[in-house]
Amino acid sequence: MKLRECFEYIAGRWKSELVILSAGNCSEMWWEVTRDSERAFYLEASMSLASMFGAGIALGVPRTPVWVFSGDGAFCMNPGMLMVERQMNLPNLKHFLVSNRCYGSTYEARLPNASANDYASMARAMGIERVYRFDSLDALKRDFASAVAQPGHVFTVLEVEPVGKKLEEPPMDGPEMKYRFGRYIERLAGVRIFDGSLF
Amino acid sequence: MVEGVSNVAARIVEETAKCGIKLVASLPDTWISDLIEAFDKDERFIHVPVNREESAIGLCSGAFFSGTGALALMGASGFMTCVYALTKINYTYQIPLLLLVTLRGGLGDRAKYHVSNGLYLKPLMDSISMPYTIVDSPEKVSVISTAYAHSRVISRPVVVGFTRGVLRGER
Repeated sequence: MKLRECFEYIAGRWKSELVILSAGNCSEMWWEVTRDSERAFYLEASMSLASMFGAGIALGVPRTPVWVFSGDGAFCMNPGMLMVERQMNLPNLKHFLVSNRCYGSTYEARLPNASANDYASMARAMGIERVYRFDSLDALKRDFASAVAQPGHVFTVLEVEPVGKKLEEPPMDGPEMKYRFGRYIERLAGVRIFDGSLF
Repeated sequence: MVEGVSNVAARIVEETAKCGIKLVASLPDTWISDLIEAFDKDERFIHVPVNREESAIGLCSGAFFSGTGALALMGASGFMTCVYALTKINYTYQIPLLLLVTLRGGLGDRAKYHVSNGLYLKPLMDSISMPYTIVDSPEKVSVISTAYAHSRVISRPVVVGFTRGVLRGER
């Protein structure tokens, strides 16, 4: 399926979930589709840590679902993230692996072992119980609710085509993104993130 | 267990609790094995053993956005692998983080495979302008609270480095 159609569909079902996007196509396509600068954190300055970042958030705001979108380029750098996710087993963490079988943000450079990588099986082998794999928009539409809306940690592989072009990067600087996203979570979840005076 | 080690571990754990830290993400080093165990057994903390040190950086940085105080605990070798994560995540987005790190390769370390840490750990921290402080006596454990507060003030990571003498109860 096409990444844009996939993200348009998912974004259309986006309610109060916090969204974390890994570097490259995930961040840039989500930005292109949603133009959101509060409820989404574009972790462009990092590879392979989006799901850990999301897990840290999900741990502290257990009533708020956290959607994490990782590219498979990032995933290949740190597949052991799934071990930590499984161990934490956070019911509000929903990890989407955007599999385009290439390094999408670097002109679709080759990914090691690209055609043979079976990400869903890797997740199952690490003990993750709820694993989904969608390779068509119809399948995603059919099962999205059962995959994502139910409580419980979920790992969902989204098989998409390479985008084929460079996308626009979200234009916010790091600190701006920190404060926009953090203030939103403070309002949403009633937690205090930013200090006034410490002592 | 080396005599005195558990006392130091207990002091570190208490000081960490005083900071309001809830999440501890760790990867082991022989010098901190009993400290990790102490965090794991203490119900005031959620201890998460991670697969690699960079995952601890990601996890703790995310925890910041839920108002959860966090600590990344690791050996010197592991810290050396975190330059990318720290400079890209914590520096770019200005996310505070407290790290407790072993000063492997320093005086008294008999492991030849840690020589490089003794040579390059501090210069590496200097090269990325990473604030750090050294705990070389048990009396200095209280600097953990100061370092945690400092990381929040400067919106950057701060490292507390522990010598073998402190962690292993040696003089």
